[in-house]
Amino acid sequence: MFAHLETAVLITIIRIQITTTPTNSSCQPVGGYVPFAVLNPSHIASLNLYRDPEPHLTDEETERQTGDVLIMSDKDDIETPLLTEAAPILEDGNCEPAKNSEFVDQGAKPESKSEPVVSTRKRPETKPSSDLETSKVLPIQDNVSKDVPQTRWGYWGSWGKSILSSASATVATVGQGISNVIEKAETSLGIPSPSEISTEVKCVAGETNAKENENFSPVAGAFGVFSTISTAVQSTGKSVISGGLDALEFIGKKTMDVIAEGDPGFKRTKGLMNRNATLSQVLREAKEKEEIWNSNEVTMETEKKTHYGLLFDEFQGLSHLEALEMLSRESEIKVKSILNSLSGEELETLKVELEQLKEAFSLAEFCEEEEEEKKGDEDFTKDITELFSQLHVSSKPEKLARARNTAHEWIRKSLTKPLAENEEGEKQLEAENTEQVNKNSIEDIHAFAIRSLAELTACSIELFHKTAALVLHGRKQEVTAVERSQTLSQMTIVLCKELSSLSKEFTTCLTTAGVKEMADVLNPLITAVFLEASNSASYIQDAFQLLLPVLEISLIENKIESHRHELQGQKPLLEH
Amino acid sequence: MAYAYLFKYIIIGDTGVGKSCLLLQFTDKRFQPVHDLTIGVEFGARMITIDGKQIKLQIWDTAGQESFRSITRSYYRGAAGALLVYDITRRDTFNHLTTWLEDARQHSNSNMVIMLIGNKRTQSAFPWTGIICIYSHKLTSLSAIFENVDLESRREVKKEEGEAFAREHGLIFMETSAKTASNVEEAFINTAKEIYEKIQEGVFDINNEANGIKIGPQHAATNATHAGNQGGQQAGGGCC
Repeated sequence: MFAHLETAVLITIIRIQITTTPTNSSCQPVGGYVPFAVLNPSHIASLNLYRDPEPHLTDEETERQTGDVLIMSDKDDIETPLLTEAAPILEDGNCEPAKNSEFVDQGAKPESKSEPVVSTRKRPETKPSSDLETSKVLPIQDNVSKDVPQTRWGYWGSWGKSILSSASATVATVGQGISNVIEKAETSLGIPSPSEISTEVKCVAGETNAKENENFSPVAGAFGVFSTISTAVQSTGKSVISGGLDALEFIGKKTMDVIAEGDPGFKRTKGLMNRNATLSQVLREAKEKEEIWNSNEVTMETEKKTHYGLLFDEFQGLSHLEALEMLSRESEIKVKSILNSLSGEELETLKVELEQLKEAFSLAEFCEEEEEEKKGDEDFTKDITELFSQLHVSSKPEKLARARNTAHEWIRKSLTKPLAENEEGEKQLEAENTEQVNKNSIEDIHAFAIRSLAELTACSIELFHKTAALVLHGRKQEVTAVERSQTLSQMTIVLCKELSSLSKEFTTCLTTAGVKEMADVLNPLITAVFLEASNSASYIQDAFQLLLPVLEISLIENKIESHRHELQGQKPLLEH
Repeated sequence: MAYAYLFKYIIIGDTGVGKSCLLLQFTDKRFQPVHDLTIGVEFGARMITIDGKQIKLQIWDTAGQESFRSITRSYYRGAAGALLVYDITRRDTFNHLTTWLEDARQHSNSNMVIMLIGNKRTQSAFPWTGIICIYSHKLTSLSAIFENVDLESRREVKKEEGEAFAREHGLIFMETSAKTASNVEEAFINTAKEIYEKIQEGVFDINNEANGIKIGPQHAATNATHAGNQGGQQAGGGCC
């Protein structure tokens, strides 16, 4: 099970690297990273669907495939407001989802055909309704994709949308089709006359496609994807001008990154940590995707209940995250400007102190490895409350604790009942209970699990946001910024552990309740819970990272404050 | 669930003027006289209908305390509408409006629609009026009269003053009561209407999220039926 999961995650990540689409018509230069959150909740459930029919990529394979691609240096993140709807490319009337913007060469296959219909969630990809709008937005690409026979790429495209609105639109470029790549590259490199170039590329790409597609199997799977990409690099690279390469290089870099990290699954990977700049956007995107789906399809109430993104937003997680990002960004700017204004010794000492802070912020991951001691029920609430009191901010984690306890209470009930069912003697005594048990279908459990995870994550992020606000607000500090960050780092660990153990308990519930179910019904649900938990942990850790600039500025201001006090203390002495 | 547009609002104004109460009344249709001080910002969301289109309002209810000012300023960014609230029974909250307005103008986009709200504070000097309400609906109007008398006696800022201030600074103006819900809906909805009109006029670049407007996932615009104005009635203003 676990191995499965890891493969799934790895593959997902790789796919995401490739298929991301730019959301933004203004095409920013990109930050170096794709947020881990690219493991878009809305898609995870369907992971297992993709996995099987396709050959798994080994590291070398991927490397080989991406070898053509140069490593691209990271640029500074530039935050640009994004319009999520603007980007996708579509073929008119093709039933092709808007967000399935594909690498043009690959063409796209209507997902409705190739997608197995199992998963716990269905995605909106098959909706034609958005096609019209999007095709309006990017008419050029329309032409391009028309030249293109459709392949399994249809799948991949859907991943793109989730990531896309993130400022890391760099990655985005890749999935979008060559003309977009060029447009983007051109924007970032300042190459003139975008339309000319894209027209040119369009032709080139078109030709390439025509040739390629003859021997391109529709079921090419992951392999096909990579090989086509590299072909694309070769065939279009020349005409695309160095600008296009920029973006293509990025795929390579991302792919390498992912492979280098080689540590998918539950544990967060180091390299993915720093890319939280657009976390809320990523999440918002995920939510929107689900909204699209909801709005387009007449959905069952129960299905709606399992949309992590929507639920997360419902619990105001998204808003808190956005607010936290604002505070973080603002603090970051302040820190930078202060550092710029300093020099010499003053700067050096400050840098040393800031370094200590950073260390505290990287602790979380290491410690996370050494978990695994099972803790009692009460401990979480106690731990969290204690940690919070150490922070010396006036916010209290009650809401979080409540959410968590509700989840555990529910699990306990749900677990004890089936047991009673087994024991014949007690069966009648517990008749009422068992009736309820029967109502707790695996779908119910799954829905509740996703809901709980979303709620817990939202509460955690709210806590981090409030903490940020209070740290910034606080005039005097009883604790140093370093101490605070250590506490926060521990808190992050506690929260992530909790999510992990919660997901285990939920899956236990699922297996218990679903003994009679077929594996192909049960497994996707279990996978979904695990992956959603893994995502939740990522969001929390990303949110935690957002606190770094906040604590930095708090440290700096505190220093200035105490410095002023010293001066004030000295003055009277001097006067005397 | 699906919306044609999403507008981000911020609610600003001195502490204790009833910002959180207004939000709660608008989102939950309930009144909670006692609540915690807002830390940083709290959130609320509600769907409204304007011109037959579903519009989601995402409302950021900021902390009014002076000490939170520098933080709450960070939240202004990307708001399409602002509700600037003062308490008609406390002149100082009215006097601070200029500072709030400067802040808002400085830290948000220039097209932001600002609604000035004279909210009436809630404690009644006639505790028994509430009891009358409970026991006899017939006496409701009576209690309302009492309350108004009560309110008017404690009013420190005339409605005309609010109107004049709004006119001078190009704001929309309303007097509301978070307690009785009077004009609360209207305040939020009229602000949205104003934003919506600006979109129609092309003043807002809806493709720029910094404007606090987002197009909904559905792009419902294309086939939306013009179901007329369901977004609440145009309210004249005075609630007293």
